[in-house]
Amino acid sequence: MLEINKLSKTYDGGKRSLTDVSLTAKEGEVTAIIGPSGAGKTTLLRSINQLIVDDSGEILFDGQDIRKLNHRQLKKTRSKIGMIFQNYNLIESLTTIENVLHGSLARKSTLAGVLSLYSKDEKQEALQLIDEVGLADFAFKYCSDLSGGQKQRVGIARSLMQHPKMMLCDEPIASLDPRSTTMVMEILRRLADEKHMMILINLHQVDIAKEYADHIIGLNNGRIVFDGATATATDRDIENIYVSDAPVAVG
Amino acid sequence: MISKPEKQLGVVPASRPVMPKLNLSFRLKDKRRRTIYGVIMLLMVTTLATVPTIIPKGVNLVAATQGLIDNIRIMFLHPAVSNTSFGSLVGALVQSIALAFLTTLIGAIFAFFIALMASRNLAPRWLIDIVQSAMAFVRAIPTILWVLIYSVALGLGANAAVIGLTFHSVAYLVKVYADSIDELPKDTLAALRAMGVGFWPLVSQVILPTVMPSFLSWTFIRFEINFANAVAVGAAAGAGGIGYQLFMASGFYFDFHEVGMIVYLILAFTIPLEIISYKLRTRYIKRAGK
Ligand SMILES: Nc1ncnc2c1ncn2[C@@H]1O[C@H](COP(=O)(O)OP(=O)(O)OP(=O)(O)O)[C@@H](O)[C@H]1O
Ligand SMILES: [Mg+2]
Repeated sequence: MLEINKLSKTYDGGKRSLTDVSLTAKEGEVTAIIGPSGAGKTTLLRSINQLIVDDSGEILFDGQDIRKLNHRQLKKTRSKIGMIFQNYNLIESLTTIENVLHGSLARKSTLAGVLSLYSKDEKQEALQLIDEVGLADFAFKYCSDLSGGQKQRVGIARSLMQHPKMMLCDEPIASLDPRSTTMVMEILRRLADEKHMMILINLHQVDIAKEYADHIIGLNNGRIVFDGATATATDRDIENIYVSDAPVAVG
Repeated sequence: MISKPEKQLGVVPASRPVMPKLNLSFRLKDKRRRTIYGVIMLLMVTTLATVPTIIPKGVNLVAATQGLIDNIRIMFLHPAVSNTSFGSLVGALVQSIALAFLTTLIGAIFAFFIALMASRNLAPRWLIDIVQSAMAFVRAIPTILWVLIYSVALGLGANAAVIGLTFHSVAYLVKVYADSIDELPKDTLAALRAMGVGFWPLVSQVILPTVMPSFLSWTFIRFEINFANAVAVGAAAGAGGIGYQLFMASGFYFDFHEVGMIVYLILAFTIPLEIISYKLRTRYIKRAGK
């Protein structure tokens, strides 16, 4: 369970990017965060694992306030949070399996991470995950030779190697074609359903959000303007999210 | 090459954009190159102007040229060993190779750790500035001078040579290693840190395997440089090896047959070295830069 209370953030010298953002996300659910460009979606997602240091509020994950953790505890918490990026962030000059194995480094102690090469079990698991995201034939190919959709699936496999409880996905499908989009979204959906993971996903495509998410959060100008189950969201609600002076949702 | 396509639209930049800085360094390099050319021109002009004043009176230029050609012919067409044995020349060559190998190896180990403090991808700006300027200072002073500086403290000989050569190797390798690490995508390293990967695991399991090919090529190139340096310090700082033999044959015995033999021995080692390092350079270093 992730609970965010009254989170605010102002960039240095900039305008306010998040204002009193509160939301709850649950295990086994896909939560889509939608809103116009510049609404603060990326800022919100990155605050959750403190890549962006916010100004005030509370982020409760696993019963702890992430904002109050010390360096060591934060590192531990981060290892339980997978991240998926629009531009994949793989090391392109390495192979698929090498990139996926990087995910296991998050779980290891420093000494084990430095000294040991990957164990047989880890390699086995990496291959298994690569197979699960449908890339069995590409395990030993260089990532620079993969397509965007394939790279994104490598990114997902790498995150799964962390054994995460939560996945933060920042526009994971923004540069993908429809077929790859479906593939990536199906994988994320399956992770929620079968592995009971908490999936937070920033999206620009409303139809995709409606199709795959259990829960939609609308963000506009740093404020939450919609928060509800996908089933209950009307077209009007959704349209409203994109209106520049959207009325702030109450409650 | 300068304008890479911006491929992360919509992502909050993790730090200030690096593009303008890159431009600046290009301009700086150009300026530096201009300064260097300027200085070289100035030196050439002064040299030419002073040539007439240093030619001693009464020299027969024709005879002198004839003598030069004779000596070169003796060196390269009639190499021979007379003052020492061929075996001891080979031994001296091995000694020089060992000196180059040892200093490169020690230098590479130190340089690796220092390079971590000199890479934009890993270290804070202030630390990079301190380390890079210290290394630039060490590089600016030629290797031979470092050997002579250390020989003040340690006496002329092998010890000063090892430390002096290592010192300059570290400074050289830190720069090229740090450049190789800088070529890794900063966002990806940040992403791995964000996933909870610690600094040292990141270095040993992510960075090292990725930069290994270019590290090895650079280290090999430095080995080549160090061999040339090892020959030179053998002659200039009494560090032994083939350089010392060369010094004895030319400056002490005036035996151009033996000088020729030594030069051939050195070439027999350096030409393959040069070929290998050229291959490595084109294969790994140019490719990494694309
Ligand atoms: N590093 C930064 N420094 C200053 N201001 C920033 C920074 N990053 C984002 N902003 C500002 O904060 C606001 C929210 O940006 P954010 O990237 O979170 O929006 P977004 O919803 O993710 O947009 P997009 O859909 O385009 O990705 C914007 O007004 C943006 O200009
Ligand atoms: Mg964004």
